[in-house]
Amino acid sequence: MVDNYETDERPLLETTATDRHRGDQPMNLALEDVSYGVDGTEILTEISLALESGEIMTIIGPSGAGKTTLLRLAALFEQPTGGTIRYDGTDPWALSRDDRLVIRRRIGMVFQQASLFDAPVARNVDIGRRVRWPWPRRIRGFLERLLPRRFTGSPAVDERTLEALELVGLRDAWDRDPASLSGGEAQRVSFARALAVEPEVLVLDEPTSDLDPRNTAILERAIERSRERDHGVLLATHDMHQAERISDRVAVLLEGELVEVGPPGQVFEKPRDERTARFVRGDLLYDDNELPA
Amino acid sequence: MEYRRRAFLGAGATGIAAAVAGCLNSSNDASEGSIAGAELALATTTSTYDTGLLDEINAKFQDRFGVQVAPNAQGTGQAIQSARDGHADVILVHARSQEDEFMRDGYGVNRRDLMFNDFVVVGPSDDPAGVDDTGQATAALEAIADAQATFVSRGDDSGTHTKEMGIWAEASSEPGGEWYQETGDGMGDTLMIADESSAYTLADRGTFLSMRDNFDLEILLQGPIEGGPELLANPYGIMAVNPEIHDNVNYQLAMAYIGFFTSPEGQALIANYTANGQQLFFPEAEDPDFQQYVPEGWQPDSGGE
Amino acid sequence: MPFELITEPNYLRSVIRVSLTVSLTAIFVSTLVSLPIAFLIGFADFPGKRLVTAIINTGMGFPSVAVGLFVLLFISTDGPLGSLDLVYTPEAMIISQCILAAPVITGVALSAVESVDDAVRDTAYGVGGTRTDVALITLKEARYGVITGILAGFGRAISEVGSVLIVGGNIAYADGTSKTRTITTAITFETRRGEFETALALGAVLIVLVLLVNGIVMRLGGR
Repeated sequence: MVDNYETDERPLLETTATDRHRGDQPMNLALEDVSYGVDGTEILTEISLALESGEIMTIIGPSGAGKTTLLRLAALFEQPTGGTIRYDGTDPWALSRDDRLVIRRRIGMVFQQASLFDAPVARNVDIGRRVRWPWPRRIRGFLERLLPRRFTGSPAVDERTLEALELVGLRDAWDRDPASLSGGEAQRVSFARALAVEPEVLVLDEPTSDLDPRNTAILERAIERSRERDHGVLLATHDMHQAERISDRVAVLLEGELVEVGPPGQVFEKPRDERTARFVRGDLLYDDNELPA
Repeated sequence: MEYRRRAFLGAGATGIAAAVAGCLNSSNDASEGSIAGAELALATTTSTYDTGLLDEINAKFQDRFGVQVAPNAQGTGQAIQSARDGHADVILVHARSQEDEFMRDGYGVNRRDLMFNDFVVVGPSDDPAGVDDTGQATAALEAIADAQATFVSRGDDSGTHTKEMGIWAEASSEPGGEWYQETGDGMGDTLMIADESSAYTLADRGTFLSMRDNFDLEILLQGPIEGGPELLANPYGIMAVNPEIHDNVNYQLAMAYIGFFTSPEGQALIANYTANGQQLFFPEAEDPDFQQYVPEGWQPDSGGE
Repeated sequence: MPFELITEPNYLRSVIRVSLTVSLTAIFVSTLVSLPIAFLIGFADFPGKRLVTAIINTGMGFPSVAVGLFVLLFISTDGPLGSLDLVYTPEAMIISQCILAAPVITGVALSAVESVDDAVRDTAYGVGGTRTDVALITLKEARYGVITGILAGFGRAISEVGSVLIVGGNIAYADGTSKTRTITTAITFETRRGEFETALALGAVLIVLVLLVNGIVMRLGGR
């Protein structure tokens, strides 16, 4: 099927940083003194960090430290109550909704829980591309699906969707029902969905926290391939081994404050901040009085 | 997934088709000038309609005039009200006092006596109250009240209920107490309830005869047709709705219908109509009775009322 | 003899056809009105939302005779729609069944929309969806609940007797062709005059229809 939408035709596996379709510089994300609060309760306090393209930055911190909130702010789900988020120097929240959508569509988000729509795997993976289609094509696509496939001649699945699935090792699963997938497979499909639109910034909220080592390894490999293509990755995790394994830099988030940002060697071996040291030793994981006697 | 999508589509398509069909179906052009294909709205009572007589008359009328009759069978009060509201072209009921009020108020014109039958008191064959021996309507109800035998009343302001109330008013006993039950239902339902609870009730002969095969009930007091008391007479009247009040009614069709119903041919149809081998109604239109045109008890010297 | 005339298959067919035409049309119109309302309420957050939801849920149990009376007053000669001459027509029955079915469709669709996980909306937004995309994807996820609501509304409409009797009048022509006689009102009529066989045949048709609809509802709901 001939289509004018250029991104649809480009093979995912072969794209490199140099033939990036948007043509401009790799996208950078910067948070400048970003704060966020709900109903007067401050969840994040004056966070400043910068994510370079081609970099994997992990956010570590105990539950409730504000990791998810930080990622939702980075992925433009929520507007900060203080400070500024900048993508390539632009504050998306100063833009119109339509212009902000252009930036949002360069970000990919994966949640802790795989959330697949009640539709075959292939349609879960290509949803991101379908919402980018112009309306006439979307309506045509909807109407075509109402007819038996032999009348419309449209293929059951396209190559680009299969490539995204191949990145997570599920190329053959394109026609499966989501209910038949294991938890790890479902999360890998979620990941393929984010990768299918080739986001320049990937925001990952503990994507491997519920997965077994094999599925975790597959996803980590996919994350590293994004870095190879010069994408920026912001990854929240509570798995410190994972942070050590794949991070270029580690950011430590404690009680809504960023206490230390540095290479894993620094954060885990020679932390500069006393609170970081206590956290990586495990002292902050529990309050003393919460521990069993 | 395929299957469900198609099922949904199918439902949608059916809905659209039905919507279109619904629009095409509307046949509400009774007030149009041409007769063929027009429709005559007849308000009547359930007990009249349930006998099946109207289907026979209407089929013949339809053959003759090419006009479909839409009979709307309701309670007497409801039928008269819908005629007052202009939702009927012609009205056929059996409650003379309410007919007279309808005419006096100007909603009806050209009333004709149509036919009559009578009421009967029915009850269980063992007749615990001894109604069989009374011979009079008032005495029959008094006997039931005295015996505290179960009596089922329509209780719905129908012609039958109006008649029953009239008899109680002349009787020395009062209806009430556990033995006296009001159904609020039509004649057929009331007869079924009476049958199931071995109770007495006042029924119009037509409905009772048409349903008699289903019942153990028996006639214990005959009406005037079989030589019983005049108090149990049940005359039917037919009136056109006044086109001066409701300009949407089809007065000419209404008069054609009244003309057909009161013609020798229509009257013969009434006389020949039977259910279970029994004649249900007796034609009355051929009697040259001036009282049919005026309120009951009207005297020439009582002035313009 | 009209008695034989009236138990002819033509009579049954005509009654069933009127019933289906009226109820399907009512459901079609009702769905067009109800679904947007369900989605607006489901997506919006406003003060009094709980109250509105409660009113809709109350509407599911509206007594049909009361609705019929209300519609009759509305379309009667002196009513606001009196000039349309709708009393005792199939259109009047469609109106009252619409009113009866709308709260059912709205209520069930609303709870289906609200039961769609927030994660679905987040995901739809996260893949670059606009607000319209988020709404459409939510509709897609809620589709079985929505269809269940439509079928439940149909079940209510087709098996309802009170309001169609009041506004439709249970009219059939002398040749047995139904004008406003539906399966339910025909059952009351045939029972009243002791024609139990006809009533039973119609009752069986109605039960099969309702079972069919409920079967589909259960199939969808049991997922």
